[in-house]
Amino acid sequence: MTFLARLGAPVRGFLEFLGDQVHLVLRTLRFGLLLRLGQLPIVGAQIRLQIRFTGLQALALVSGTALLLGAVTLIQAFSQLSGLGAEQYIGVLMVLIILRELGPLLTAVLVIGRSSTAIAAELGAMQLNGEVDALAAHGVNPFQYLLLPRWVGVLVSVFALVVFFDAAALAGGFLVAKLKYGVTFGYFMDSVRQTLSNRDFVATLLKVVLFSGAITFHACHFGLGIRRSQTEIPQAVTRTVVTALVAVFMLDGLIAALFYF
Amino acid sequence: MIELRDLALAAPDGRLLLKDLELVVPRGGRQLLTGSSGSGKSRLLQVIAGTGKPLRGRVTVGGRLLWPGDGALALAGAVEVGLAFARGGLLSNLSLRENLELPLRFRGLPAAEVAARVGAALDRLGLVSVAGLRPHALSASARKHGNLARVLALIPDLILLDDPLEGLDSADRATALEVIREWELDPGKTLVIAQEERDPFSGAVWRCFAMPSPPVLLEVP
Repeated sequence: MTFLARLGAPVRGFLEFLGDQVHLVLRTLRFGLLLRLGQLPIVGAQIRLQIRFTGLQALALVSGTALLLGAVTLIQAFSQLSGLGAEQYIGVLMVLIILRELGPLLTAVLVIGRSSTAIAAELGAMQLNGEVDALAAHGVNPFQYLLLPRWVGVLVSVFALVVFFDAAALAGGFLVAKLKYGVTFGYFMDSVRQTLSNRDFVATLLKVVLFSGAITFHACHFGLGIRRSQTEIPQAVTRTVVTALVAVFMLDGLIAALFYF
Repeated sequence: MIELRDLALAAPDGRLLLKDLELVVPRGGRQLLTGSSGSGKSRLLQVIAGTGKPLRGRVTVGGRLLWPGDGALALAGAVEVGLAFARGGLLSNLSLRENLELPLRFRGLPAAEVAARVGAALDRLGLVSVAGLRPHALSASARKHGNLARVLALIPDLILLDDPLEGLDSADRATALEVIREWELDPGKTLVIAQEERDPFSGAVWRCFAMPSPPVLLEVP
């Protein structure tokens, strides 16, 4: 019986966590739809702040990482495929490795490292300081003022960062292809375009939506769950990073299985 | 205005603070919650404000069921509540003025009215010179007065004050008392104050509920 209880506790905990995530998403959506016209500028200002932090301030980091990744991917691929007409596979390599998988995935990992940690710590500190209670008591719905702007801000930022990541990775790949094989820009882009399909766009969009939701609501769950002391904040941040990473990798696998298996 | 039925409260660490509480505060009522530190006065105030969940029981404010239910979200648009925290409660990324403006702007009040109400409240509590500062840059008494100023600007139906005079020097205490006395004289306001002693709210209009002491009654199963 004790063994079964031990076995069941984590399962129950996981199901409770999932239930809480669904609850947070549904309530944020519901209260988002109930926003009044006059409240839009206030929520909009919060969304802008989130986009500035999560998107704009991460642009150089994401673009630089992607540029290097695109270049390194092609260098490694060419070192293995040299003499086998590797330049014919440029488009396939770039689309399969970067655009389909690494672009959304690494962007999500960088956003988890930079922004979900910040969201969890900020909400935790606000919860401890009574700020969330003060908002709710005075008619400022925390779902509308805190959760919705963070969700929308992260969604817009992740979408923009994935676009920049893909563009920078392609640029890095093109540089290597040009220097090593003298491939022209037109040939490079044609090669990518021929491999890329509408299914890739849909899969990437789905990843952006699901990843940004997972990143935001994991951070909100652990941040708002802080109740007693400041020592809980680093614990909440660690939990956010670990669970958000697991969620993002699981979602990525699920989408890959759905679209390409 | 407030109805608490069969209420049981627990501290965050799970200690039972009180049980079987039946309390009714009529519209325009004056209610004191007294008790020693850690007895759960602030917790009871949070439950009434809808920001803290009771262990058991029903809480109704202005005819809206808060618990069991959505807590403070159930009051939106129905009852205007002003809650002054004993400490904290001001958003740390906003200036004091913005802290006062936010709930008013969220209600959709015209900008001119927001500015007038906030200006008057800041002036009343002597906070005009520090209105542009964020809470961490304010003194403890200014933060406390900032909480009162926010309640003043909201012009609420239900006023909940958590230890409003604690830690204030005599001048600040006099200013805070003056504001509270004005609310006391307004029959349209329902006033609930949590503090250790009855003094200085000992007039006949005040009803007093003393929190059980010692607060630790038994472990929650």
